Amino acid sequence: MIVLSLFPLFLLVALSSLTYATSDYHESLTLQPLPQSSLLASFNFRSNASQESFDERNFRHFPRALGQILQHAHTKELHLRFTTGRWDAESWGSRPWYGVKEGNTGVELWAWIDGADDQECVQSSSDPCSLDAYADEDKRAFAKWITLTQSLSGLFCASLNFIDSTRTTRPVASFSLAGDHPASSNLHLLHGTLPGEVVCTENLTPFLKLLPCKGKAGVASLLDGHKLFDASWQSMSVDVRPVCSGPDDCLVQIEQTVDIVLDLDRSKRPRDNPIPRPVPNDQLACDTSKPYHSDDTCYPLEKTSEGGWSLSEIFGRTVSGVCPLGDSQSSEETICLRVPHERGVAVSEGAVETRKPDGFTRCYTLQPSGAFDLVMPEQEATTHVPLDEPVLRAERTIVGHGVERGGMRIIFDNPSDTDAVDFMYFETLPWFLRPYVHTLQATITGRDGIRRQVPTSQLIKETFYRPAIDRERGTQLELALSVPAASTVTLTYDFEKAILRYTEYPPDANRGFNVAPAVIKLGGHENPIYMRTTSLLLPLPTPDFSMPYNVIILTSTVIALAFGSIFNLLVRRFVSAEEAAALTSQTLKGRLAGKVVAIRDRIKGKSAKVE
Amino acid sequence: MTSKNEDPGSSQTTSTPANDTMSSKTGARRLPPPEKSEAIQTRFKVIAAFWAVIIFLGFPIWWKTTSIYRARLPIQDMVEWADGKTCRPVFPLEIHFETPSLPESEAHHLLRTTQHTLDDLNEFSAHHLRLKLSEENSVAIHEDILEQPQPALGGKADTALVVRLLPQEDLAAPRSELHPDTTRLDVYYPPSQIPPPSASNPPLSAYIAGELQNLFTEEKAIIAQVLSDNNVGGAITPTSSSSNNQQQPSAILNSISPQLAESITRRLRRSMKYAETYHLAFSLFTPGSEPSSWDVKTAVEEYISPLLQAFAPISNFTVDTQVQLYATSAPTAPLPVYDETQAAWTLKKEDLSAFINAAEWPLSPSIGSGPTINFILYVPAPSQSPMVVKESSATSWIIPQWGGVFLLNHPLSTADHSSNPPHLSQEALRPAFLTFSHQLLTLLGAPATPASLPFRLQTLIRIRAATLLLSASSTMGSLARLTESLPSIPIPANVATSVSTTLSHLASTCEHLREGRFQAALADARVAETEAERSFFEKSMVGQVYFPDEHKVAVYLPLLGPVGVPLIVGLLKEVKRIVTGLKAKKQQT
Repeated sequence: MIVLSLFPLFLLVALSSLTYATSDYHESLTLQPLPQSSLLASFNFRSNASQESFDERNFRHFPRALGQILQHAHTKELHLRFTTGRWDAESWGSRPWYGVKEGNTGVELWAWIDGADDQECVQSSSDPCSLDAYADEDKRAFAKWITLTQSLSGLFCASLNFIDSTRTTRPVASFSLAGDHPASSNLHLLHGTLPGEVVCTENLTPFLKLLPCKGKAGVASLLDGHKLFDASWQSMSVDVRPVCSGPDDCLVQIEQTVDIVLDLDRSKRPRDNPIPRPVPNDQLACDTSKPYHSDDTCYPLEKTSEGGWSLSEIFGRTVSGVCPLGDSQSSEETICLRVPHERGVAVSEGAVETRKPDGFTRCYTLQPSGAFDLVMPEQEATTHVPLDEPVLRAERTIVGHGVERGGMRIIFDNPSDTDAVDFMYFETLPWFLRPYVHTLQATITGRDGIRRQVPTSQLIKETFYRPAIDRERGTQLELALSVPAASTVTLTYDFEKAILRYTEYPPDANRGFNVAPAVIKLGGHENPIYMRTTSLLLPLPTPDFSMPYNVIILTSTVIALAFGSIFNLLVRRFVSAEEAAALTSQTLKGRLAGKVVAIRDRIKGKSAKVE
Repeated sequence: MTSKNEDPGSSQTTSTPANDTMSSKTGARRLPPPEKSEAIQTRFKVIAAFWAVIIFLGFPIWWKTTSIYRARLPIQDMVEWADGKTCRPVFPLEIHFETPSLPESEAHHLLRTTQHTLDDLNEFSAHHLRLKLSEENSVAIHEDILEQPQPALGGKADTALVVRLLPQEDLAAPRSELHPDTTRLDVYYPPSQIPPPSASNPPLSAYIAGELQNLFTEEKAIIAQVLSDNNVGGAITPTSSSSNNQQQPSAILNSISPQLAESITRRLRRSMKYAETYHLAFSLFTPGSEPSSWDVKTAVEEYISPLLQAFAPISNFTVDTQVQLYATSAPTAPLPVYDETQAAWTLKKEDLSAFINAAEWPLSPSIGSGPTINFILYVPAPSQSPMVVKESSATSWIIPQWGGVFLLNHPLSTADHSSNPPHLSQEALRPAFLTFSHQLLTLLGAPATPASLPFRLQTLIRIRAATLLLSASSTMGSLARLTESLPSIPIPANVATSVSTTLSHLASTCEHLREGRFQAALADARVAETEAERSFFEKSMVGQVYFPDEHKVAVYLPLLGPVGVPLIVGLLKEVKRIVTGLKAKKQQT
């Protein structure tokens, strides 16, 4: 009896210690000034839940709303991205997180879904299940994928429910599992993207609700929809993956990031007076050495000083304390700033600064409560933080003219003078864009500017191609490419534009149709680098939308004319005009008409006499 | 059009007035020769051919392409179910008597007299008690009725209650005792009160009958309420049995005390609609950052799981829990006020409905079918602790058909007054979860009395079976009315299948109820309800509900106007010609 009563107590102690150990939360913010008076702010929030408590639906830091969606849709790993704007690699260098936390313009979602059936196949492992097990599993995974997109659409207030079979692909080599999964699991990768989705505040609010501190404490308190979506470029990501340290020791990890590039001048506008106004004449910094310099002409001088901003100025608020959920209560360095060490920075009292040996990074440990602000006074810039050069530049455009045909041109530029770049190129095309893969051609331009045509097999090592089926699925093209050192490769292919059905046109059909960006994956499975091209607008032949009514009226008229004359020819009798007149006068109507005419003639005659 | 003109029968003119006057003035008066009979014949054939095509080809094609598929539904049966004409739910409760110390004949006599007294007491014939002598007079057969595997079809009636008669020497009057964890009533009686075979109305029988009557008062009242809410009582035609016993459910409602009636209607209003699966969501909300963890797993296992197991024959449950920090109340919600006399922060009773910040608190319903019952454990900020309801000093309340709230005021007597504890132990959660288990019972519609939980669950099974039977029946009625009032909606074949499944399950529910097999009745009623809902909410039925006639006219008119007018005029002329021809023939003869 004693053993019995002690046992739950022991279990309880063990469990509570377990939950303490396995459920933790980290957050951080990295600020990095970029050229052209921009500022990159990278927010990162990470929390864990033990697999056991996740399966039992005891949610603590892991958001319940998301957790139950994942369980309902049997999703083992989830990656969701909301992105707007364009990353200016020319001046900003390589992407934050090596592009791993970034998505297509609009919304991008990919997930690994367990295709295994819950019960049915286990019970009867006879014919119907094993026969075409894979096709069945595929179908089931797709059904769960649809459930997932529908539920996420509700959770994030995004049109994710429009990811149907035509926008869903199954990439072969461009994405790889980020978490640890048991080897036996039947995971299906599904990928969907909505390039036309406008990411806005209504997506940020549910995103913040997923955080344990809800944006009320910690660095998340800086996130304000007005400032966030005013940025030059911004990307939000949600990643859920299992992390295992042993065979039975697994965690479900959720990592949320927000990356924004703010235009400092733009964000410093006061909120009550947001309309940009011209700088007064006497405050302009002009190059007076120019011969045409006068009162009304000014050649602007490049600013030599940089900075002159504070957190409260550009985000509109200060950091309110820390989110007190981390294991190590106050020893975590939450805010890091990447500026040269000699740069003067003022911070609120109580924050502890540590400088990293690389000479460019300093981090702050915040007070548990109380506001934190960071002020960068304006200062003459002497050294700059070196920016990484991107390993590859890619550009994708639609070429050609007319509404029937067109072409795609993709330009890859390898800036390195010594190393060739190997990468996976992945693009999904909507079904109404029909590419002719046989027209795929490659040209190489060296640094000397000489273009030469090369056989594609010289550059393309592998091709995964899945042709489109009208109204069922889009084209999926994955190419393993290699770009030689110091050269630019241009790929082109032609395509044909399909004519849609009347009801398939969106309300703004003349705007054009979005074509999802291409995804480029560099590097191996361990440390991949991702890049994405910009999304494209494809003009399609659009009809006049009052067409059906016109068609109804026109065809009806034509039919009525034809029918009427044929019918009359068949049933009427033909007589001469005089005979017709005689016939008319016989009828009552004819006589009446005659009298009416006679009266009219008399009146006319009278009036003529009066005149 | 001047060169050609109509046949002599025409009354139509297309010639211009100028032309007309000219012809009248010239006065040539030369009539065309009469039409040849072949020409008339040809015209007749042409018109007949056109109309033949229209009638035998055009019309069927139009009919075929525009008609909608409407499966045949047993409208009459459905309406009868909805009106309660097909089935009159009855609840014959079987009560077993165990009389270990009585000889069989005396036991039989006691049983007979008790049954007689009971029948006299009972005013509500749909719900009546049938006493039976237990066949095996052993003690341990019905230890827990809920754990017995129930036969789905056939079999014996469920035992509602086991009454054990035990003699006890030192008693002046009989006394009874209901076991709190079984459905067993122990009646202790002084051996002297065993009725002699001659007595017609012995005091022991009267006592037992009164006790039984008391036990079932609330159940009876609830069932009467349910039946009268659905207007089933009104449609019941009195059966041939004693007609003075045959009272309407409204009559029994009048006979119970107003307090009980009030509490029953409140209970019915509060309780959730029946569902196959309920999702329970336990949430810890706090306006600050602490407490951020709780021993919810063990607390649920300890206080909630046993209850859910007991409910297993009625519904399924899923449980999930969450911790939500920084949960502030809505900006429009009235703030708690500090009350000196109570030494506490108080919320007004009428403001409780605004306590839940539905816009910001993540209380999204669970995914999957079935409603979610939310239980909220709110730990007030230290600056606002303790927090109570002003009027009653209560710390918990039920939100009807939604869930329950519990304010956990952590004792602040500890040294640190300024903060809540970071972790809530199972011991600290105990009062909250005990309250939640009570709230759960109420929300699921279990009656408040008597004390025995299995007994209340049995009652709940009967109530649920009755409600489901009535709701599925009324859904059938609504579906029948809907399909009759909207002739343009399609009825797919699977709706017809669902309807027939529903009707057959309703019939078997009714049969089970009459036989007293309530668990089987509930199982059938569940199927009936699911199928009824499925048929009513069939998606393809609402798809094309409204395609207005104006649109049809707008589409057809440009075609039918110019084509139809010459055709109809031609037909009319032809008919007129034939009629005049016939008249002329008659006059000739």
